[in-house]
Order: sequence, then structure tokens, then C-alpha cells
Amino acid sequence: MTLGVPAALWGLLALPLLVLLYLLRVRRRDHPVSSILLWQRSAPVLAAFRPSRRIERSLLLLLQLVALAAVIVGLAQPGLVGGTVAGRDVVLVLDASLSMRARDVSPTRFERARQEALTLVARLQPGQRAAVVLAAPHPVVLTPLTGDRRAVAAALRGAEPWDAAGDVAGAVTLASVLGSGTDGRIVVWTDAARGPLPPMARVTYQVLGTSGDNVGITQLRVLRETPRSEALVRVDNWGSSATRTPLEVRLDNVLVYRGTLELPAGGTRAVVFPVSGAGVLHAHVVTRDALPEDDDATAVLASTPLPSVLLIGRGNSSLERVLRVLPIARAVETQTIDPSTWTRFDVVILDGVDPGPLPPGNYLSIGIVPPNLPVSASGTVAQPDIATWDREDPVLRFVDLSDVHIDRALSLAPEGGRILVAGQSPLVWEYEGNGVRMLLFGFALEDSDLPRHVAFPILIRNSLAWLGGGIGDVTVGDDVQLPAGSETAGTLVGPDGRRTDLHPTAGAFVLPPITRAGLYRFSTAAGTRTFAAAIGSAATAGIIRPGPAPEGAMAPQGSLLARGPGTVLVRVPLWPWLLLAGVIALVGEWALATRRHRGDV
Amino acid sequence: MDRAASSHDAHLFDPEFLQRLEALSLVSRRRVRGRQRGERRSIARGRGIEFDDYRAYQPGDDYRYIDWNIVSRLDRVFVKLFSEEEDLDVHLLLDTSASMAAGTPSKLVLAKRVAAAIGYVGLSNFDRIGVTAFTSEQGPSLGWLRGRGRAFDLLRFLDGLAPGGRTDLGETLRRHLGMTRHRGLLILVSDLLDPRGAEPALLHACNHRFQTFLIHILADEEIAPPLGGDLRLVDVETGAALEITIDADALRAYAEARDAYLRDIERFCFRHGIDYLRTTSSVPVDTLVLRYLRQSGLVR
Repeated sequence: MTLGVPAALWGLLALPLLVLLYLLRVRRRDHPVSSILLWQRSAPVLAAFRPSRRIERSLLLLLQLVALAAVIVGLAQPGLVGGTVAGRDVVLVLDASLSMRARDVSPTRFERARQEALTLVARLQPGQRAAVVLAAPHPVVLTPLTGDRRAVAAALRGAEPWDAAGDVAGAVTLASVLGSGTDGRIVVWTDAARGPLPPMARVTYQVLGTSGDNVGITQLRVLRETPRSEALVRVDNWGSSATRTPLEVRLDNVLVYRGTLELPAGGTRAVVFPVSGAGVLHAHVVTRDALPEDDDATAVLASTPLPSVLLIGRGNSSLERVLRVLPIARAVETQTIDPSTWTRFDVVILDGVDPGPLPPGNYLSIGIVPPNLPVSASGTVAQPDIATWDREDPVLRFVDLSDVHIDRALSLAPEGGRILVAGQSPLVWEYEGNGVRMLLFGFALEDSDLPRHVAFPILIRNSLAWLGGGIGDVTVGDDVQLPAGSETAGTLVGPDGRRTDLHPTAGAFVLPPITRAGLYRFSTAAGTRTFAAAIGSAATAGIIRPGPAPEGAMAPQGSLLARGPGTVLVRVPLWPWLLLAGVIALVGEWALATRRHRGDV
Repeated sequence: MDRAASSHDAHLFDPEFLQRLEALSLVSRRRVRGRQRGERRSIARGRGIEFDDYRAYQPGDDYRYIDWNIVSRLDRVFVKLFSEEEDLDVHLLLDTSASMAAGTPSKLVLAKRVAAAIGYVGLSNFDRIGVTAFTSEQGPSLGWLRGRGRAFDLLRFLDGLAPGGRTDLGETLRRHLGMTRHRGLLILVSDLLDPRGAEPALLHACNHRFQTFLIHILADEEIAPPLGGDLRLVDVETGAALEITIDADALRAYAEARDAYLRDIERFCFRHGIDYLRTTSSVPVDTLVLRYLRQSGLVR
């Protein structure tokens, strides 16, 4: 607080004068009584005879003192000094990583960041604009630059951290693009737990967090083999000291594993144990760290994870062998092309046979281009190299194509869809639209050594899972789409119980961003599909140890707005409020005095 | 006596009320030695009509008091003893200090009414009634009265009493009891608002072997003062002033001091055999006499 005219406070000396005048004012009335004997005897019980008793019980005097004090202090022109961000525009970046849920800062790092951001927004000067960027796995602009403080505050209140590692560097870059061409600043709230922060001009970092101790489950997978399956649980200790952590795994609330893991500082332990049956597998480690969100993990153990398949071809032993090994609900091989029978299968594999125009359905086409799709083949390409493939796509997850050689491939020219594998020409292409979900291999299996690689069964398994709508392994941050088929509406229920009604777009249900790890249920009229989402970037998301900020970009300890870089001080005058308080006190005193004839309170 | 009191005295002589008073008599828990024959049992045994005891015949006893029935049954000679019936000296002491003017009606008005009633009861029973008004100094005194015909003298005397002066119970009793040779019933009517305290004076009366009956009269405003705010309380007897700010806490403290003061007086009277009756000036005199004094045992 500052005072514009401190000398005015000398006027406060009038307060004791007012009290003195009040005491000296002779107002006691003589009242004859038969005896003062009993009044004198009551004196030791109560100090009712002290002159100050009148002051203590005089509300009128109190109101007069309040009014006088308010006026005098108001004349001193007091004001509150607070910090705000310099410049015309400010972009607020909130790290939405899982580590921001850590409770070493009360209530959580993210909540503290949110509150500080709201405080900053409240102190914005007229004419200043603000934007909000959420540093999720893919940076998100919650609100562009606007002068509407309420919109900015609403965006901040609606922001939630993800159960994944956020891309702070990408968010800062995005924020710098939003604020480019202005003299504004970027304020970033983060814990800097996963690597150095980008040192950029006009960026101020507020690093949150005090503790780095965390133990969490980084992987829970079910390895389905015939005749039995195995579950794998991996637990990491990112703390600075060794710990013993109890682990329990239950399948539909039935205990299937219990043990205690010896975890050295910075160490990892993995446990593999057999499981059988179907249901929801839930793993839990008992810890007392700052981040309980990664103490639980969920996986779905499906009885038949892959759909029914109709294989139409001239007989491919490699493909047939893989279909026999994979846990497919039903597989039928034929050489007859009869589209009327295809509706009884979830996926139809077209192995080098021309089916003609495709009816709605899910197809894996190998070495052949169906006519009614936005793709065409113009000749062939000899010995194309596999230059790149999308390792994050569900079809290519865990698929290594680096040593695969192809003798000949179709020269594909897609006009839509997505290219998953490419060399001199697209080699694997996926498409969804008009009720058709298509995965197209641009080469025949016998023209490559792919069937001899480990990647082949994984690729076929991923392809069938994607085509058949089997949701498979989902991690937070994935874009999940489910083939709609003939369904027109569905409901997604997340692990927090939140329901989202969905309608298909271009033959598929596009699920909202998966932000929380846990069990999801997607229901349509045909039934309910359950899938579990794992923590995104699990190997690093659980790191909560706060890191350093770039030199010169660090906010001061305690409050970002105290005297941080890029902040300016603003003064909020208080005298109007004091004047209002003085007027209210005077009006109250007048009303009270006119109501009481004696003036005694 | 003010006009209101006079009009009320007319009520005192209401035939019905007087008739009810005539049916009463003063009660002395102690046997007293009177000066003339009366209607009260004396500590002397002799020619009364009320049988008291037997004793063995001694030479010289009157043959008329030998109980011949006893002689015929026991073959021994006993004479009957009878209580003498004598009158009772009733000392009525009225506090007429300035503080007795408080109350509605005033405490003095009620004191005069109750004194008149007690006096009338005593005169109706041939007791000797003496009335003395006191403050810190000796006030007017009415000599001994006896017989119902002196009732108008009693009322005329009481009518002439007015409040004024300070209370000094100790000096009053010391002076009055020092001049009295005959013990009897001492009835003290006062508000006991004596800065020096009432206990030494009452103890003095007990030491002179009076049967003492204390009628303590308080005004309603002394029980619960209707006061508030910043006041300068002036004592009407001493002129002493006290500046005080009266609020709920002050009234609570006053109530505690009042209760302690009254409790101390009650305990003192109980320990020393003094009959004690406390009343307020607003209580009607007929209720006070016919109910409360009868319950207290002063009249029956």
C-alpha cells in the first residue's frame, strides 16, 4: 500500500481529541435514589464506573471515529500497488502435463498456476489483451488474444491438465506466434520437469513444484498368447531414494497378483504374470508421493480382441498362417467374390483380387485398388524404398519397417485419406468415408519380404484391430475414431463419469480428446465397447522434479507479479472506498442519534 | 401523612377490615413478664385460668388448688399451677428517614399502615403499644397506649410522621433500648438502608433479650432500578453522588450486589433468632397483615 499524501495522516491525532471531547462533555443527569449503598457494593463486581465505560458502549462515538478516520485516511490518498504484465498483449501458457497435478504445491501445481493466471488477468489494464494456450501433448489455444477478461477467465477456469506429458516448448512457440508483432509478453506456468525450457525473448517462466519424489505405473499391457495370456506391469521410481512399493493387480476385483517391488532411486521394475479370462485389469501401487494419479493403471482383457475376417484371395500361406495365430473371432477363406455375404464379417481382406465397386464396410486391400475410392494406381514402381512411416498411427504401432524390402509396388495417387507408409510413392494408405473404412497395401505380399519380418503379424493385427473397430491400445492424447457402421448415435463415458453424446461423421465416431487415463465405455444401440487409456508418454510423464528456467526468464520466488521480469507496478486508489465508508458511518450515526432521544446507546 | 395515605387510612378503618383485625392477636414466642393482668400468658405462675403444671404440696399452699382426684388415686397431695395472664409490651419502631419516601406508594406509607394495623391488633388485645419514629436522631415518640380506645391517638400520631433525615439504626436502638426497662416485642419497620449496616443494631436488640420482628420494606425501584444511560446518582439521605454508566452489565452487577445484601440480612436474622419479613411498598397492607404477617407468626 502506498500513500499519496502521507502528511494527511497527522489528522489522525484528531481521533483522541474527539474521544477527549466526548469524555469531557457533561451529559450525566442527576437522579435521586433512596441510597447508593447497593450501587457502591456492585462496583467491585463490575467496573461500571470507569469513564471509559461510556466509550466502550457508545456506538455513536464509534461511528464518529470511523467516519473521521475514513476521511483522514482518504485524504492521505492511499492505494494498493500490484504488479501486472507490461506491454499491450500477454499470452498465458499453462503447462497441462500430468506432473502439474502434483500436490507438493497446494492444492496442486496446476490449480496454483490457474489462480495466479486469474490474478494476472484481473490486474490487466484497460486496453490490454490476453490469450490462453494450454501446453497439452498438442498445444491448444483456449482463447485467442482478446480484451474480454471474462472470456479469458472462463477459458482459464475450464482448463484441465492431461494425463500425459505436455509440449511446453511447442506451446511457447505457439504463444510467440499468437503474440508476434506486438510488444506483449508470454507468461508460462510450468514445472519444467521434462527438460530445459526454450529461452525466448519476452517470455517469463513461473516454475512450480518443490518435490521430485514419485513412484508410478508406466505400463500395464496384456500380451495375448495362445492358449494363455500374460500381463506386464512396469513401475518406475523417479525419486531420489530407494523404496519398497506394494503392487496389487485385480481382474474384475479378483486379486491376480500381489507383491512388493524393491525400487532403487531412479530405477524400474517390471512384473509379468499369467492371466486368463476377460475383464478389466486394474493395477495399483501403494505410495505416498505427490502424484497419486499414476498409482493406478487399467487395461481391458478382451475375450476376442480382433473381429471376424473374410479372406478373399488366391491363397497366401503367410497371411493364412497369421490369421490362424491371431485371436480372431472367426476367419473364413474363399476365392469367391460375393459382396452379399460380406456383411456377415467385420473385415474383408482382398488379397490381390478385384472386387469391383465396394459396398460400405471395412476392407484390407492388398496389392489391388478398388474402383470407387479416391485413389488410383498409375503403373508400378520397382524396388521402392520405405522412406518414412507414421509410428504413432495405431496401424503402425510397434511396427518396424526399416529392414523390409519391396520388389515392386503400385504407383498410388491418393486424393484423400492418409498416407501411412511412403517411399517413392505411397505404400500404405488408409481412408474413411461414405461408410467405407479402407486400409490399402500398395504391394503384393509375395513381392516383398515383409511376411518374413516380425513386423508382419503386428501390422496385420493392428490393421484388423483398426478396421474392426477394436480400439486396441489407447494412450492419453490419441485421436480415437470408431467405425460407425449403421449406428447413428453413441455415448462415451469417461473414467471421471463424464458423458459425451456423439454422432458419426463420415462413417466414424470421432471421440473427443482423451485427456484422462482410465476406463472408457462407448455405448451405441448395438452394444458397449470398453477400452482403457494409458498415461501418455508414460516413460516421462511421471517425472515431477521441477527444473530450472532459462537465465533471466525466471519469475521471483513467491509471486510472479511482485517484481518479475516484464512486469510493471500499477496503483489502485482506495480513497473512493474510504469516502464511501465515511459517508455510510456518518449516515448511520445520524440515523442512530435521531432515533435515540437520550443519545445513549 | 399525604392525601393518598390518609385516604388509605380510611380504608384501614373499614369496618370489615377492622373486624378482621380484631380477630387477630400478636404472638410472642417468648413468655414475657407484663405489668398488668392481660390476655397473654405470663412467665409468672399464679392465679390465671390456664393450667400449667403440678407440684407437690408444700405447707402454706392454698387448699383450693389441691387436685383431689390425684389424691384419691395416688394417695399423695399435689397442687395445680396456673399461668398468670398479663399484658405485652409492644415496641413499634418506625424508620422515617428520607429514603423511606421512595416507592409507589412510598415505603413510609406502607410502614405507617402496617404499624397502625399491628398497633390496632395489640390495642384490641389489651397489649401496651409504644411507637417511636426514628432517623439518625430521636424522632417523635408516642407514650404507652393500652385499650382499643387509644387507637385514634395511634393513628393521629402516625399521620403526623413525614420522611426526612438520615438512617442510623445503631444509635436509634441503643438509645431506645437503654431507656426501656420492660422487655417485650420489638417490631422494627425499616428499609435498612444504613451505610453503617443494620447488623450491629439488630444484635444490640437481641442482647437486650427482646423478641425482635423485623419488617424490611423495599421499593420496587430498589429491587429492579428502571435506570439506564449516563447518570449521577444522588443519595437523598447523605447527598453523596455517584457517577455511573448504567447498561445491562451494570444492572446485572447491581442485582448480584442486591441479592448478596438481602441474603446476608436473612442469614443474620436466622442465626440470631430474629423474625424477618421482607416486602415491597406496592404490596397492599391488608395482604401484608392478613397473609404475610400471619404466615410469619407475628399475628394469629
